[in-house]
Amino acid sequence: MSMHHPTPITEGQLTRREMLARSGLGMGLLGLTGVMAGEGLLAEPAQAAGTGALALKPSHFAGKARRVVHLFMNGGPSQVDTFDPKPALDKHHGQPLPSSLRTERKTGAAMRSPFKFARYGQSGIEVSELFAKTAAHIDDMLVVRSMHADVPNHEPSLLLMNCGDGRLPRPSVGSWITYGLGSENQNLPGFIALCPGGYPVVATQNWRSAFLPGVYQGTHIDTKHTEIDKLIENIRNDQLSLEAQRRQLDLVQRMNQKHAAERSADPRLESRIESFELAYRMQSEASDAFDITREPQHIRDQYGEGLQGRQLLITRRLLERGVRFVQVWSGAGQPWDNHDNLEAEHRKLAGEWDAPIAAFLADLKQHGMLDSTLVLWGGEFGRTPVAELPNLSGRDHNHYGFTMWLAGGGIRGGQTYGATDDFGFAAIENKVHVHDLHATMLHLLGLDHTRLTYRYAGRDFRLTDVHGRVIPEWLA
Amino acid sequence: MGRSMRRSLLLLLMLLASAAFAPPLRAGDAISTEHADFFERRIRPLLLRACGDCHGDIAEPQGGLKLISREAVLKGGDSGPAAVPGAAGKSLLIAAVRYEGPEMPPDGKRLSDEEIQRLTEWVERGLPWPEATAETLASAKTLAEDERIAAAQKSHWSLQPVTDPPRPAVSDTAWPKTGVDWFVLAELDKHKLAPSPAANRRTLLRRLSFDLVGLPPTPAELDAFIADPAPDALPRAVERMLASPHYGERWARHWLDVARYADTKGYVLFQDANFPWAYTYRDYVIRAFNEDLPYDRFIVEQLAADLLPLGNDRRPLTAMGFLTLGSGFMNNQHDVVDDRIDVVTRGLLGLTVTCARCHDHKFDPIPTRDYYSLYGVLASSTEPTIPPLFEDPPQTEAYAAFAKELAEREKKLDEYLARKHAELVAGARTRVAEYLLAGQAQLGKPPTQDFMLLAEPEDLNPTMIIRYQLFLERTDRDRDPVWAVWHALAAIPEEQLSTSAGAKLEQLLSAAEQPVNQLVAGAFLGKQVASHQDIARAYADLLLAASKLPPAASGTDLAALQAAFTHPDAPAALSREQIGVLELLPDRKSQGERNELLTAVEKWRAEGAAAPPRAMVLQELSQPVEPRVFVRGNPTNLGEQVPRRFLRVLSDERTAPFVSGSGRLELAQRIADRDNPLTARVLVNRVWLAHFGTPLVSTPSDFGTRSEPPSHPQLLDYLASGFMRNGWSLKWLHREIVLSATYQQASADREDALRADPENRLYWRMNRRRLDFETLRDSLLAASGRLDERIGGTPLADVAATDATRRTIYGKIDRLNLPGLYRTFDFPHPDATSPERSQTTVPQQALFFMNHPLVREAAGSFWSRPDVAAMADEQQKVAALFCAALGRAPADDETAWALEFVHAAGDTAWQQLAQAVLSTNEFLFID
Repeated sequence: MSMHHPTPITEGQLTRREMLARSGLGMGLLGLTGVMAGEGLLAEPAQAAGTGALALKPSHFAGKARRVVHLFMNGGPSQVDTFDPKPALDKHHGQPLPSSLRTERKTGAAMRSPFKFARYGQSGIEVSELFAKTAAHIDDMLVVRSMHADVPNHEPSLLLMNCGDGRLPRPSVGSWITYGLGSENQNLPGFIALCPGGYPVVATQNWRSAFLPGVYQGTHIDTKHTEIDKLIENIRNDQLSLEAQRRQLDLVQRMNQKHAAERSADPRLESRIESFELAYRMQSEASDAFDITREPQHIRDQYGEGLQGRQLLITRRLLERGVRFVQVWSGAGQPWDNHDNLEAEHRKLAGEWDAPIAAFLADLKQHGMLDSTLVLWGGEFGRTPVAELPNLSGRDHNHYGFTMWLAGGGIRGGQTYGATDDFGFAAIENKVHVHDLHATMLHLLGLDHTRLTYRYAGRDFRLTDVHGRVIPEWLA
Repeated sequence: MGRSMRRSLLLLLMLLASAAFAPPLRAGDAISTEHADFFERRIRPLLLRACGDCHGDIAEPQGGLKLISREAVLKGGDSGPAAVPGAAGKSLLIAAVRYEGPEMPPDGKRLSDEEIQRLTEWVERGLPWPEATAETLASAKTLAEDERIAAAQKSHWSLQPVTDPPRPAVSDTAWPKTGVDWFVLAELDKHKLAPSPAANRRTLLRRLSFDLVGLPPTPAELDAFIADPAPDALPRAVERMLASPHYGERWARHWLDVARYADTKGYVLFQDANFPWAYTYRDYVIRAFNEDLPYDRFIVEQLAADLLPLGNDRRPLTAMGFLTLGSGFMNNQHDVVDDRIDVVTRGLLGLTVTCARCHDHKFDPIPTRDYYSLYGVLASSTEPTIPPLFEDPPQTEAYAAFAKELAEREKKLDEYLARKHAELVAGARTRVAEYLLAGQAQLGKPPTQDFMLLAEPEDLNPTMIIRYQLFLERTDRDRDPVWAVWHALAAIPEEQLSTSAGAKLEQLLSAAEQPVNQLVAGAFLGKQVASHQDIARAYADLLLAASKLPPAASGTDLAALQAAFTHPDAPAALSREQIGVLELLPDRKSQGERNELLTAVEKWRAEGAAAPPRAMVLQELSQPVEPRVFVRGNPTNLGEQVPRRFLRVLSDERTAPFVSGSGRLELAQRIADRDNPLTARVLVNRVWLAHFGTPLVSTPSDFGTRSEPPSHPQLLDYLASGFMRNGWSLKWLHREIVLSATYQQASADREDALRADPENRLYWRMNRRRLDFETLRDSLLAASGRLDERIGGTPLADVAATDATRRTIYGKIDRLNLPGLYRTFDFPHPDATSPERSQTTVPQQALFFMNHPLVREAAGSFWSRPDVAAMADEQQKVAALFCAALGRAPADDETAWALEFVHAAGDTAWQQLAQAVLSTNEFLFID
């Protein structure tokens, strides 16, 4: 049997075909009158079916998750200091391990975790003090302790985690998902990457759309800023009030309708007419989505005053408005890359994240959104259980074994999956490659990773290339 | 399930029955030469080609059936034995290929009658299957590939020679204006559709102007054209536009999409991410279009200008940016070469050759071996650290000082790298004992070259360890007499060495099948070996001693010892060109030292006082790469050697390798050859796409077997053959297209035609087209009277800045940080060659018109134009605005709306009005 791919879409032809197939003739103008009649519907994701590239598309099968948030601990958090306790390290502290794997830099003897672990929840899963507040949700969390990737270097590992290939220009997970499902809100980008203060390593490649149309690329938002016009390009007119803009837009649309009437139905003309109405509304809606001062004080208190709290509160507001994929980065560069001084650095970073994550999970639950929101936490890899030479105060990169956790969105929580060796160096039991993670994420969204394809340069590409398997034990 | 169980039972019975009478050939019978020959030439290639993908020597063959030996055929798969020797009628294999029962090969790839007959004869002969040797397998693979290629050459439309089709009969001989129209009308006739009436003159001139120069016509040009009664008014207007230097700017941009043009490398390690002179390639392309450089010459210059006799005008060297300004791929040289193969094959030939990097192309007749033939060509050239000048530098003191400083900085860098290389190669000899032990420890582990590990300065070089590892694997496999002792002893665990080494050695020396180098044997005889270290030490002493003697006569044992350091495959015989900088310098310290020296060179060559621009060329390696297939794309898993040569599917003399240097010039000439069936067709289709908004072949960079055939095959050939006959002239092609009645049709929809052909594949009207990002921004500048019309030069930092007034093609394209505006308006990402731009409509585009300072600036400055600023009359002002923005006067109701708006809109009313008009669909869509 040869492989069959349903409805491959040829490069470049997406919108032309889609437009003809989906919008039908005349729908744009109908849509417009509907839009004009229905003011104040802005926070309703339901209005969104839309036309064009971001229109809602059916999944392959019913999936529990409808949206994804990826908390990206870039730089690589240490598993043995967070979610994968290794008492054997205490015993061997300061001694060479029986077998030590080669990582990027030279490493020395075993280094015990300076952090205390305790059991949490019904499930009794052990978590370090760094994430004590997050651990309050442990019964909703699936802790995967047997992740592994390909190489111990940031660049290829980031690309593997984000795009499914360590080297070649491939679309990111968020782009694939937005391409596969469309967006539930046409007034906001379908895929948003929040990263304060600049870019992570390999920059925009982390959220690129590569050969998929540019509309699927992640929109980067520098959450260091708090003013809305710095968050989204062209979102505000600093000279005209909304009323004045409305008057101007009415004139544009008057001319557009006259122009369209003289040309019979051209869906592209109608689409553009509609896009101006969407843009007009987006000015309010996007501002609203990023304006966390509209949250009740007690909610803001739970998230805290810090940057990560603000990022996560914005994230919840975006998810609530139907944004498909939000990636939240720890910061520019590689904050978790603690080759030295790990104890203090990890304590500081986890301190920024722990309470906001706990608040975020509680808030999603409170809003009834956790079941349909897949939350993913982790770095591009983990860290060695041995100390790095010559300072012996930090850990090197480790792709042989590391931990990620998932929650919500059809995940069976309250369990650990897989295990590393006695020292937490390499995954040995139920190993999960990044491709398997991707396959399972798509599955939770109702997408078959072997069928989500895009034809480009003579072949049908997939996020998981020829790899990946869905892990049934993860599914609720 | 039930069915196949029954079938295997049946087959089993048949097999038992057939065993009763002696088959013509049975296991163990000697195979006659005639049988063997028949199998090798007629059957093995066929099985390989037609069945190998699913039933070859693979881990999970389909249905459990492997057609890889006589035993495997007899054993069969889930459905039982595949064949009964001597009984074709009872053989499942024969039933399957006849499509009687299971249909194999599936999906309509049915074998020819002749092939079925061949297989039948083979079964009747009793399944003779001589044991495969490397040689017979290789030759079967070649035959199988050749068959597959020949079949495609015979049947696939795009591989047929370009024809010069005669004009077809049409219903209305008065309609056609150029050759194009006959072919278009003939198709319309077939579908009983009539063409649309011609567009009016205003629409036509706007269409032509945006199309050919990418700018709106001036009101004066419009008025003159509309008022011109001469029959040649249109051709004259077209000539004027084709002669405009702005024509080159417009059409260069189309080509830059194909060339994945960018001004930076993207994410790279340890080097400057900027291409300081990418713009020289962009300017070359603009000039090539303006001067109507023949396209065949354009191709050859882009691939091999460095190998052409250029005479005094060395500007064509800048053409090679086509190859060199791709993405940096984090310094992975294999990916860089892959990107170059991709831009050459998809860009120029419409073939997706890079699919064959890891395995034979799944659909097209492009075997992996052909990929590596091209790999050998493109990997045999490299970018010089100091690219050449293409214009004579000024003979000034400032330049002389610049050149002297540059030479000094370059020398320091060169000396550093030469020293490091010399140290590495010397270390490969002096530290051979350590390398041997390290290589031995690596045996059996997959060598991973992508691993960017950091070493300490005193460590062994990881790449050299891999070379020793591969060397040991090879000498073991080849039973190299020098290394026989090594492989016998090194396999013994250390603690047993002192007790069992002696016996093992004696056993080895007495075994006849393994020759042993006598000098090595002598060194070990009677020697106490207690550790692997001892073995390595003994080898090291021997090799180093041998290397100090003069070269011995070939064939002697001494020569064999010396070869361990000097043979081209020896780890220590590593040339500087064979090793990348990161591999040469695996430790932080030396990387830092080199980067400092390199930065000094790069900074000076680009920014030093009086630094001239340079051409981004490639230059040939002194010794071209002899390519080997990378098995499954893994560069450390070397397969068979292949010649540097052209794709076999585009060759008649299939096996002729390139003879001159890397073969890059020959490659260019083969692509630009008039007999190449793809080159002209691909280009003509791209130009058609740019003129009409839809291509004749729907996948412009993929003319392979999965592409849809052209909508108008004869038209495509008419244009392709005419294009070549007319000196590969782009301007000829433009004239042929834009002077056609087809192109001049109105774009209005017609109910009847829309129903019959909603996508206008038949061209019953002109397509309405949307301005792309460049034309959109250029038109905003033109309408506001602020366009800076200078041609060429260094890139603009930010085209979105309000004070940036040059055309958009001059904007800096940063691969790593493509401004959001580009993405919003469907600019193709320059990571790879782009076949066609996608067209999306998203609210972010509308936000640009509503809120971006660039639009506001254009709207405001329109009113400062001297011709407009003088106007006092409001109606006159509105009319001027419509003329500038839309190329027409306003209708009465539009004037009324505009004035009504102005009177209500406050201080900035006129600016707001201009912004509104620039935001209309009419501004963006060209009828």
